[in-house]
Amino acid sequence: MRTRHFCSACGKVQPAVPVDYFTFFGFPRKLDLDTSVLEKEFYALSRRLHPDVFAQAETQERAWSLEQSSMLNDAYRTLKDPIKRTEYLLRLEGVELEEQSKQATEKARATGELKKQAVPPDLLEEVFELNLHLEELRMQKKAGEDDPAMLEEIGKAKLSLEEKYDALFSELKSEWKKWDKAVDSGTEEDRRKIRDTMVDVLNRRNYIRNLVRDVNEAME
Amino acid sequence: MAYSEKVIDHYNHPRNVGSMDKASADVGTGLVGAPECGDVMKLQIKVNPQTNVIEDAKFKTFGCGSAIASSSLATEWVKGKTVDEALEIKNTEIVKELALPPVKIHCSVLAEDAIRAAIGDWKKKQNVAKPAEMQAQ
Repeated sequence: MRTRHFCSACGKVQPAVPVDYFTFFGFPRKLDLDTSVLEKEFYALSRRLHPDVFAQAETQERAWSLEQSSMLNDAYRTLKDPIKRTEYLLRLEGVELEEQSKQATEKARATGELKKQAVPPDLLEEVFELNLHLEELRMQKKAGEDDPAMLEEIGKAKLSLEEKYDALFSELKSEWKKWDKAVDSGTEEDRRKIRDTMVDVLNRRNYIRNLVRDVNEAME
Repeated sequence: MAYSEKVIDHYNHPRNVGSMDKASADVGTGLVGAPECGDVMKLQIKVNPQTNVIEDAKFKTFGCGSAIASSSLATEWVKGKTVDEALEIKNTEIVKELALPPVKIHCSVLAEDAIRAAIGDWKKKQNVAKPAEMQAQ
């Protein structure tokens, strides 16, 4: 059910209710969202809620339309972006990335077992190695030296990272489909597993995004 | 946000930066990352096989000042401790020593993870090395 933006009896704008952005648009908490539907809803609502429409209305109504419009904009911006949408849903589902990491460390301390790293070891190795190369490149640049072989190697690494980055987005999209199915007919355990996988995918993607950014900066 | 004096000191004069031979039997290597910010931290320890005392420690961290300071401090603290004593180091002690703000607590968590990972790697090598020694006899 969509929240009521307007009074069903008198048609007047209502105060913004603190609901999640999916509910605001009347969507289920699913991820494989048809953004053209979202866009249509957004434009329809934004025409009706826009503060200009209420320029002549009473103060209270004007304030409420402003509240509703600003929530509408936030909701639209969050849901339109595939990554923001996924991160937002995970937060709604109670996933706190940093808190999870801290708890895992505390558990490792208590049990003496090794903590499972959120980022797989081979990716960590790759990130570390590339960072070493980049550091060397920066130092060479400072010294006014030029090392074409090194540049070529970094360029290759960058390409491979970009491929991984794209592959991770495809992986995320296939998790969306699993999630949407599990919302309708899965168990809480199914959903937890999918959430964990999505967190993993996003973590790896963040890592790679930062690295590609660093590579671009170093090569400028 | 302003860094504390201790963080700046470790950042400007990091202790024990470097690396050791990963393949060596008495070296333990921990490579960990903070998904929140993309930092990556490598911490290595060299353990005396007779006493289990950590005789040397090296680190290399790519990340923010707090991550560098946390790992620099971690290497200082583990040196001279036995492996079991080093496992007692808690991230909260690093937070306290470096006066890390709440948004940088994950850096201290990362440093504790790195210590544990390095010790875990070393322990794994010891378990693998022992039967091999016995076979050799």
